[in-house]
Amino acid sequence: MEIFTALAIGVSFGIGIFQLLRRNLIRSAIGIIIISNAVNLFLLSAGAYQGEVAAYTTVIGQRADALPQALVLTAIVISVGGFAFVLEMLYILSIRYHTSDSDEVNRLKY
Amino acid sequence: MNQLNGYLVLLPILIPLTGAAAGLLMRTRHRLQAGWSFGSMLTSLVFSLTMLYQVWDRSAPIVFQLGGYPAPFGISLVGDLLSATMVVMSQIVLTAGILYALDSKDQVTQYPTFYPLFLMLAAGLTGGMLTGDLFNLFVFTELLVISAAILTSISDDKLGTEAAYKYFYISLLAAIFLLIGTGLLYASYGTLNIAQLAQLIGADNEQALVPIAMVFILAFFMVKSAVIPFHFWQPDFHTAAPTPVHAVLSSVVVKLGIYGFFRMTTLLFVGQAAAIQDLLVVLGVAGIFFGGLGATGTYDAKRMLAYSTLGQLGFILVAIGWGTTLSLIAAIVYAFNHSLLKAAMLMLAGSVASRAPVKTAAFSAIVGLGKSVPLAGVLFLLGSMGLAGIPPTNGFVSKFALFNSGIQAQEYLPLALLALASIITVIYTTRAFQKIWWEPLPESVHPKKYGDRLIAPTILISLCLVLGLWGEPLLQLASATVDWMGLPAEYIQAVLGG
Repeated sequence: MEIFTALAIGVSFGIGIFQLLRRNLIRSAIGIIIISNAVNLFLLSAGAYQGEVAAYTTVIGQRADALPQALVLTAIVISVGGFAFVLEMLYILSIRYHTSDSDEVNRLKY
Repeated sequence: MNQLNGYLVLLPILIPLTGAAAGLLMRTRHRLQAGWSFGSMLTSLVFSLTMLYQVWDRSAPIVFQLGGYPAPFGISLVGDLLSATMVVMSQIVLTAGILYALDSKDQVTQYPTFYPLFLMLAAGLTGGMLTGDLFNLFVFTELLVISAAILTSISDDKLGTEAAYKYFYISLLAAIFLLIGTGLLYASYGTLNIAQLAQLIGADNEQALVPIAMVFILAFFMVKSAVIPFHFWQPDFHTAAPTPVHAVLSSVVVKLGIYGFFRMTTLLFVGQAAAIQDLLVVLGVAGIFFGGLGATGTYDAKRMLAYSTLGQLGFILVAIGWGTTLSLIAAIVYAFNHSLLKAAMLMLAGSVASRAPVKTAAFSAIVGLGKSVPLAGVLFLLGSMGLAGIPPTNGFVSKFALFNSGIQAQEYLPLALLALASIITVIYTTRAFQKIWWEPLPESVHPKKYGDRLIAPTILISLCLVLGLWGEPLLQLASATVDWMGLPAEYIQAVLGG
């Protein structure tokens, strides 16, 4: 099972970085979302294989570490807010600049 | 009494946060909201000064365990001398920023969520400096980043959204770096408490994941304080921000990274500190030259000061990189003084630019505008002297401490480069002064009668003069701080207890 988790994390990182380096602003935003999810998976895997039963239940057995799950939950909530803000800014940028090419959204440099 | 003391660490975070929430309820009554926000920021400043006094007086940190959970399990807030000094520095500038915004002519200050967002930024910055938990640091920096990005995207500058997008994008990447670093450290040591991590890393240096985690956390702090390979967002983002926000961003928000470097080299990665320090010296010298030359080549007063921040941060990085007692003292004094000076100079530039007929701080638009505000000219000249390190301003104290520590450490090559770069500072500040206050006003330009008031920059520059003429207390505070930073075991014991 570890090997599949590791592969999933690696592949998501790869796809995310590939998309991140694209010129299109929307694609690069999607890239950062994929990387962020890969990081969440990675955080979860930091404590995934230590216990057998869920924490804070009455089931008998070795308890799983609940802290990475709490961290991932917090990270997901924060990143949802962040992505909403990114998409909103992209919407405003597309209205003002009529393009999604990152080289043309560059009026601050002179 | 001990319990009451503990709340002193909580209050500088809690007051701006609740102030922001209550400020949202007052959104229909603008004057009330503005006054309320200024009041909460001022109260918070008073409490952080009390905290600094208590920590310094008892020469022991104040530790508060959130929710009463004991240290490695719950989240601890740690107010030691380094955190307390940095928090006081930040809150002085943040209070001045709100004071400047109170009668700013920018449309953005009329926005119903401007003051709540400003207080959120204050809470995020203070929390990031006071927290003793790696994941909590991530949460607080996200709060800081999103408030700063929103404040810039609603700026009067039409390019504000573009600037905010650049900043937010790179900050999301930085947050991912920190999460990866946190995850690696958790996988290795099974804790997120900075004190316990420092203890475990000190005891067992050989874990395979530690260098990787160190690099990721270092990259996070480098993005936060715009160190050279991660600097590209900084001039763009800071230029487009509204003046009161720009004054805060360019002076204290970038100091979060500086605080992080202090923590990494003296607490978290003491064993690997030499590698970090060598890197910081090289990147610092590069930053000094890049920032100085960039500032000399710009056509916009606010952009010039944003580039200047890159250069001035380089001086602090070099001082941290030398890593001797004297140079760490110099780094703290330099960070403190630079915050006050840079915030004051940005407010002065913004105040002059607010009189321009068009909404910009470009030199072509504000040539000669300073003639009608001679007081701003005097203050700007004092600020330039401070940035360049000429007495009687506090800039002289910090430059003197820095060069003295360099001579003691026998780092002559970086010293020569630093001296050369200091001349560049004189060149660009003199150029700005000449353009704005020396050259005659063009006939065709009719400046506005009223601009932003000069109360906040006057207070900051007076503080700079006081610290320049009577720098002893700050130097003593810095040297007590460095003595404390040399004892990571005591920090660990204070947080973990026992």
